[in-house]
Order: sequence, then structure tokens, then C-alpha cells
Amino acid sequence: MDSLWVAKTGLEAQQTRMSVVSNNLANVNTTGFKRGRAVFEDLLYEQVRQVGGSTSEDTESPTGLALGSGVRVVATEKIFSQGNHMETGNSLDVMVQGRGFFQVLMPDGDLAYTRDGSFMVDSDGRLVTANGYEVQPGVSIPPDALAISISSDGLIQAKLPGQSQLSTVGTFQLADFVNPAGLEATGQNLFLETTASGTAQVGTPGLDGLGMTVQGALEGSNVNVVEELVNMIETQRAYEMNSKAISTSDQMLEYLNQTL
Amino acid sequence: MDRLIYVAMTGAKQAMRAMTTVSHNLANVATTGFRADMQSFGSRPVEGEGLPTRVNAVVESQGWNRQNGTVVATGRDLDIAINGEGWLTVQLPDGSEAYTRAGDLRVTSAGTVENGDGHLVMGKNGPITLPEFQSIFIGDEGSISIVPIGQDPSTQVQVDRLKLVNPPAEDLVKGPQSLMQLKGGESAVEDGLVRIVTGSLESSNVNAAESLVQMIQLSRQYELQLKAVKTAEENEQASAALLRMQ
Repeated sequence: MDSLWVAKTGLEAQQTRMSVVSNNLANVNTTGFKRGRAVFEDLLYEQVRQVGGSTSEDTESPTGLALGSGVRVVATEKIFSQGNHMETGNSLDVMVQGRGFFQVLMPDGDLAYTRDGSFMVDSDGRLVTANGYEVQPGVSIPPDALAISISSDGLIQAKLPGQSQLSTVGTFQLADFVNPAGLEATGQNLFLETTASGTAQVGTPGLDGLGMTVQGALEGSNVNVVEELVNMIETQRAYEMNSKAISTSDQMLEYLNQTL
Repeated sequence: MDRLIYVAMTGAKQAMRAMTTVSHNLANVATTGFRADMQSFGSRPVEGEGLPTRVNAVVESQGWNRQNGTVVATGRDLDIAINGEGWLTVQLPDGSEAYTRAGDLRVTSAGTVENGDGHLVMGKNGPITLPEFQSIFIGDEGSISIVPIGQDPSTQVQVDRLKLVNPPAEDLVKGPQSLMQLKGGESAVEDGLVRIVTGSLESSNVNAAESLVQMIQLSRQYELQLKAVKTAEENEQASAALLRMQ
């Protein structure tokens, strides 16, 4: 009966991988999306006969027998490679070129991190994400601002009517992590800090290894459609082979029941 | 009861057991760096009184398939595949060494390097610990270079080297942690000739077609054994009928 359950772990793992592939494909046009990847490992072995066990007083079993018990998904990790540069021309669209995340204040008071820099101004003049969460440190855009300019080191300046000089209204600070793959993805293009990611190190864009901010552009999703489609084919075939293993085991048992 | 039934039962049981291994291989058809398990049937004569007519079939492990899997490009800096023969060294929780071909590495918040299964990856002198870096590059012979945080990209610092080993395949056995270990439990010595490919992973070396054919063969073999069990039963019934009072 073991082989039925072993093959079932294969089905489950392929099913999970298929969800990851579908999620990647569904987010092929999501700004700042980072693709996921399912990581598999083989499950513990049942040692039926221990290798090196004595077969007589002075001989030992050269190979032993260990039966594996299938596969499991250990992680669905995010791959933080840079997405495409998409020119939008919108003055409040900001892209991070290189490492680093924008910091966003969640309604519960916690900080979240995002690579999605499609910012907007809310009714109070605050700079917010598309979901309405405020950027940290807070930036307020004067209501009469004629134009906004964002430099590569994150300085936000506004052109006010009747003034020839630009006035500084705020700065972007980027947060970086030792292990970005350890961040917890919460949806809404946001990530949360975890013990695996390490604590956020906040700094000025362009300094200390942080990326630069680029105004008028957004970071596209880093999903590679061709790769995902190949993954999908591979997953489907692996799924079929595992279901074949289940049906064969089932036929063996069926034959047993009918014959005896 | 005739002993035939026990011999046939052993055959059927072992075929079912072999089927578990085939299922295990198929379940791991997409596991990075996986090495397929191999097995064969051996015969075990039953010794005792009378003629030595009975021989039980027993599944014997033949170890693992030594063929290399296909190298698939992923483009991630920390994905490495071993080019040709060789193994990556990882540390088990008890401090001993084990070997794997799964090179999906990641850096933890403490700066240590783990592979996808969460085992610490070994360098020249014990587990690798990296200082904070801006970018990382792993060379063909396993050297790890980084650009330290806040430095110019031209400042490359070599911080460690992966411990790549190539012990003889016959000394390696699959441990219960599903990693390879040396038979005696000792550590392998570093081999400077092992080469890696960065930005790629090695796929599982399970041959799907072969596994499916094995499955068919095992299923037929199983039916054959059951047929023998059935025959034994019929023989028994026939002899019982002979002796039955009319």
C-alpha cells in the first residue's frame, strides 16, 4: 500500500508547483511582482535493511535496502531579480533600480515593504501607494504643486506657483534586507519583515549598495513567460506520471482482491 | 498448507515493495539534484529439511543511479549546478558532513549559506558565513566573491570557497536525511577539479520512461505471483475434495 501514498506525495507536490506557476503567470503584468519557485526535497527513507548490517559473523550487507517515502515542498521562495524597466512618464511613478524596498505604513501601524512605486496623492496631500497606504517617511505634496521632480537619490521636490526655485517636500528612504527571499509576501505587492529576512537597513537611495530611484518608470514583473510555460508542461507531465503510479498500484490491489 | 503459497506470497510482497521505490522516483521527478534509487531482486534459498526447492525473492537495493541530471539555466546568482562529477558539502544538525547535488543556495539573515533543504553549506573551514554584500558571484571552482556593501562594483573580495568533493561513488550511500554520506561516516577531502555552473540547477536524474516501464513490469510480475498463490489454493481445494467423504 506504500506506493499509493508515495505517489500521492508526488501529486501534491506537483499540484503546489502548479499553483506557484499559475500565480506567476497571473502576475505577469503586476508592477513590482517577484516570481516564486517551489523547492522540493525527497522525504525520509525507511531503512528496511541497514547498510553494513551483519549478514553473518564476518560478512556485512553491502547495500542494504532503504525505501523512500516521496517528496514534499519545503519552500516557495521568491526570486528577487530586477524586473523590466517600464517607462510611464507619470511623475509619481518611481522605480528602484537595484536593491531596496519602499517602506509603507500599514493601517495596523506596522511597516511593510514594496517594490511597487506607483504612488498617488490622497485627499490630505500625502503620498500613498495604489492601496492608499502612506509611504514612510511621510511625504506631503502641496495642493498647488505644478510639477514634482524626484532625483536618483530619492529627493522629492515640488515646483510651486510664483517660485523660481524648487522646494524640497520630502525624501524617499529605501530599506534593504540581508535575505530578501526570507520576506513574507502578504499580497497587495507588500512584503513583511521576518526573522529569516533580517532587520531592515534603511538608507538613502544610491548609497551603501541601495538602488537608485528612477522617476517616471515602474518595475515590471520579473516573471519570464517562456520559463513558466515550460515549467507548466514539466509539472503536468510529472503529475500524470504520478497518477499513473497510483493507478498501477490500484490495479495491483484490485487484481489481488479479485484473484484471491 | 503447501509451502508454495508462502514462496509466491514473498514474490508478490517484494514486487509491491519495489513498486514503492518506483513511485518514490516518480514523485521526485522534479526534485532538484535528486538521484534515482535502483533496486534488483535477489534470491534467498530457504534451507532446512528435505530438498532445497524453495527460493524466496528479496528486493536488494542497488544503490542510486550515478547518471547526472540535466542542467537547467535559472539565471539566479545563487543557483549552482555541478558540472560533471562531484558533490556540494553541507552540514547536518549533528555537525557531520553530507553531500548533495541540490545547489539552490540562499543567504540567511545571519549571513550563513543554506541550500533549498535548509542545510548549512560548507566552505573551506566549516559552514560559510558571508559579510553583508551588494552582489555575489560564485566562480567555476566554487570561489565566492562579493562586492561589500557600499563599495564600488570593481571591488571584488573573495570571501570563501565552497567545499566541493568527489569521493568514489561506491563509498556514498543515501542517508536517512536523503543526503549522501560516506559509508564509514568520515568526511570527504576537497577536490580542486570539481567544476560548477552558476545560474543553473541540476534537475532530477529520474528517467521517467524507464520508471514507467519498470512499473508495468512490476505490476505484471505481481499478477504472476498472485496467480501462483491462486494455483496453490486450487491445488489445496482439489486435494481436500479428494479426501472428502461422498
